[in-house]
Amino acid sequence: MTGRNAGGMSSLEYHVLLAMADGPLYGYAIKEAVETESAGTLTPRTGSLYRVLARLMTWGLVAKTEPAEATLPHPGRERKYYGLTAEGRGALAAEARRQRGAAALAEERLGMSEGGP
Amino acid sequence: MRSFLALLVHLFPAEFRSQFGPDMVEQIQSDYDRALSHGRRRAFVFTLVTALDLVRSGVAEHRHPTWGITRTPQITEEGTGMRMNGWTKDLRYAVRALRRSPGFTLVTVGTLGLAIGANAGIFSVVDTVLLDPLPFPDADRLVYIAASAPGSDMPEEFGVSSEFYLQYKEQATLLEDVSIFIDFTATLRTNNRTERVRMSVMSPSLFSTLQVSPILGRLPVPEDESQVAVISHTLWATWFEADSAVIGRSYEMGGGSRTVIGVMGPDFWFPNDRVLLWIPQNIRAEGIVPGRFGQPLVARMAPGATTDALVNQLTTLALRLPERFGGSAGYARLIEQHRPIVRSLEEPLLGAASGPLWILLGSVGVVLLIACANVANLFMVRTERRQREFAVRRALGATRGRLIRAQMAEAVVLAGLAGILAVFLAWVSVPIILRAAPPNIPRLDEVGLTVPTLLFTLGASLLSALLCGVVPAIRSSATSLTRLSDAGRGSTRRGHWGRDGLVVGQTALALVLLIGSGLLVRSFWELRNVDPGYDTDDIFTFQIAPEGDHLPDAPAYARFHTDFMDRVAALPGVESVGIVENVPLNEGAAGGRFRTEDTGSDDEAGSLLRYTYAGGDYFGTMGIEVLRGRAFTMADHVSTLGNVILAQSAAGLLWPGEDPIGRRIQQLGSENWETVVGVVEDVMQSDFRNTPQPLVYFPLVGQPGSPTSRAISSPAYVVKTSRADVIAPEIRAMVREVAPEAPMYRVFTMAGLASDSMVRLSFTMLMLGIVSMLALILGAIGLFGVLSYVVAERTKEIGVRMALGAEAKRVQRMVVAQGARVVVLGVVIGVGIAAGTTRVLGNLLFGVEAADVGTFLGMSTTMMLVGLLASYLPARRASNVDPIEALRGE
Repeated sequence: MTGRNAGGMSSLEYHVLLAMADGPLYGYAIKEAVETESAGTLTPRTGSLYRVLARLMTWGLVAKTEPAEATLPHPGRERKYYGLTAEGRGALAAEARRQRGAAALAEERLGMSEGGP
Repeated sequence: MRSFLALLVHLFPAEFRSQFGPDMVEQIQSDYDRALSHGRRRAFVFTLVTALDLVRSGVAEHRHPTWGITRTPQITEEGTGMRMNGWTKDLRYAVRALRRSPGFTLVTVGTLGLAIGANAGIFSVVDTVLLDPLPFPDADRLVYIAASAPGSDMPEEFGVSSEFYLQYKEQATLLEDVSIFIDFTATLRTNNRTERVRMSVMSPSLFSTLQVSPILGRLPVPEDESQVAVISHTLWATWFEADSAVIGRSYEMGGGSRTVIGVMGPDFWFPNDRVLLWIPQNIRAEGIVPGRFGQPLVARMAPGATTDALVNQLTTLALRLPERFGGSAGYARLIEQHRPIVRSLEEPLLGAASGPLWILLGSVGVVLLIACANVANLFMVRTERRQREFAVRRALGATRGRLIRAQMAEAVVLAGLAGILAVFLAWVSVPIILRAAPPNIPRLDEVGLTVPTLLFTLGASLLSALLCGVVPAIRSSATSLTRLSDAGRGSTRRGHWGRDGLVVGQTALALVLLIGSGLLVRSFWELRNVDPGYDTDDIFTFQIAPEGDHLPDAPAYARFHTDFMDRVAALPGVESVGIVENVPLNEGAAGGRFRTEDTGSDDEAGSLLRYTYAGGDYFGTMGIEVLRGRAFTMADHVSTLGNVILAQSAAGLLWPGEDPIGRRIQQLGSENWETVVGVVEDVMQSDFRNTPQPLVYFPLVGQPGSPTSRAISSPAYVVKTSRADVIAPEIRAMVREVAPEAPMYRVFTMAGLASDSMVRLSFTMLMLGIVSMLALILGAIGLFGVLSYVVAERTKEIGVRMALGAEAKRVQRMVVAQGARVVVLGVVIGVGIAAGTTRVLGNLLFGVEAADVGTFLGMSTTMMLVGLLASYLPARRASNVDPIEALRGE
């Protein structure tokens, strides 16, 4: 299953996985984390976000789970938490490696040294 | 908006929704609220972007599911998958087909979009103003109670008086709660701002009757007496910067210092949204003088009570009033005749707005029908042209249902595009409509593209798709294989009938709207030509309310105002200046009962007249003619001479056919007699429609007991000047100099007041005019289209006729005659429908009958001429047919 994103995943998929790397989150928190961690380059709309989430779950990278620590009772409906599976962690790490490699290659070609451009 | 977006989540497959739906809805709601906190514009953009995303991802999820694909066996999905596929394919095919005929697409989308947009725009207004229930709980139990006294000289409907309120409150078992109220303009003075604002005095029970509570502070209780006030959210926001510290502070309101105890929410308005504060007043049985009519009641009926039962109970209760409160013989007689009026609270609060709005909604609905007829016609023509294609498809095995679906898919795509265009048009045009709308319509500022409006637009689009598409679709599907052999040319007779029928319908409907707007134009014209008894050109008017220790009594006020009139008169370009208590078209005059010395003290009832006061050169400035005797002189204004001037109708009422000069009248309750020194022309006080009221003019200083024995605190100035539009700043500077504490308010030109007084009519006229022009143009296009098609279709036949020697003129006549037959039939039917429906214009009409023959004839002729023109153009093309060209095709 993980093979499907071996050739790189979309940046929204990557950031959704990244958001959950610290522990399980519920839907709205994922969205907020994606917005912050992508430095505002991604503002996922509800429909797109949940399709990505659904796809990651179908691939087996994400699963429904319990929150990491006991949370304060939330008024109203109970929240659903989502977390990375072992495969998900692997895929995220693989993608991070791939991105690091790609970044290194780019820096090398552009002649960027350690001291900056 | 929020629920609209939540609705869009349903575009996702059920599988997906059962897993993620509730979370998505919750997320959308939080995001929406956050966007809304940044303003309405932000919320609108958010809605748009999110809606697009939901539609896109919802559709994508159907086509490339991300969820449920490995868990559910593929086979069970097959059924729905196939069906979806069929529709998707049809829609895609439709889009491709429409792309190939951009002209057709443009015209149909434009026509439908315009019509649906007009509907969406008017609907958004109707929805907010008329369909949203009043912002009070259980509003259907709230009623408005007034009085009538058939057979008396009282107006058709009038407000009750305090004793009615007490009696009802204590004894009406069918009422849960009741409150008496009145609204008026008075001075509001804070530390840094002084203005005349609209305020209401009401019994403390008002808020409990309406079942509303403040967002800040508390509501009045009887122990507050009149020392407190509750302020509106608007006042709180604009005068006090929404500072909660306002609670407990005291300001001068309505002639006394009162403490602010509560702030109402932004949704609360009563009895109209101009009222900015509410002052409670206890009403006690002691000291009530019965018969001081003029205040309406608002009440909450007990659960299960009916209006009829309530009317009966209130009638009985009122009959016991003279026994409990006393009063004159005239009062007792009036109570005998008294019949309570009980109406749903919505009626008086929404006022006169509802009639025109319903009429407009009906009219744009008619335009939509006409537009649909046009598009259906175009569809039929298109279908005729594609007979061959359909025949081929059937021959290749397409089922009939398949062909209908393919056709309907085109209609759906077109209507969908039209719907989008419509939402855009409504979004652009609604603010423009609102700017032209009459004042006094509550909650106009809340009008916008709400969920109901969007749903309505969606519904209207789907309905138009059905109306436009279904007949041509079914017809085309019936194409038989034999059509393959006749090379796809020619058409069925049935096609003609269908199209002609549509044009007849369009013509009839367009004529109905034309006649309606014609009647309104006539009314407007008649109203413009009414002589109100005064001039409206070149007159500037304003009010000031000077106060202070230097103005202790009536003569002091009179001196102040005569001095100030002199100063204004000295301004360049000013011809004359006068003052009056109530400027016509702006305020009504108070009512009172008067008797004459001829009827003497036996006359206990007196005659119901209106009274006001006038000073300076009021009559000359307003162009009100002095018919007998004289106008007031300076002596009348500075000393107590006891002179009055009567309007013609008042003189006629008191002394029919006699000369009133030198005779005397007395207001009931006053000791002194007033001498009539002049008779002036009648004036139309409230608007140009009603008959003038009998008016008594008092001078600036009156005898004890007369209305001007007390200080005349806030008169209206009238200034005759050709600079009426621009003089305001100069006068404002002068007011600041002479009376810095006195705000200048109610600043108008008489011309402005005159056009405002007709705004309900002129607004409806303008809107209906635009709508009927739209209908006329669409109708003409429909006729033109059909005849053009017929000519194109008959080119061969016409060619043969011309080859055989038919003259061009005759060919033209033939085509025009065909058009004329259809138009005449449409006109006849239209006149019939109009005769039955123009009555809905009701009291908007003035000086013209709902079945005015002239308007009916004129508009029918216009319709015929337009119809003939629309026929003539294709006819000319027909007569230019070259016989050789036409026959070569064979």
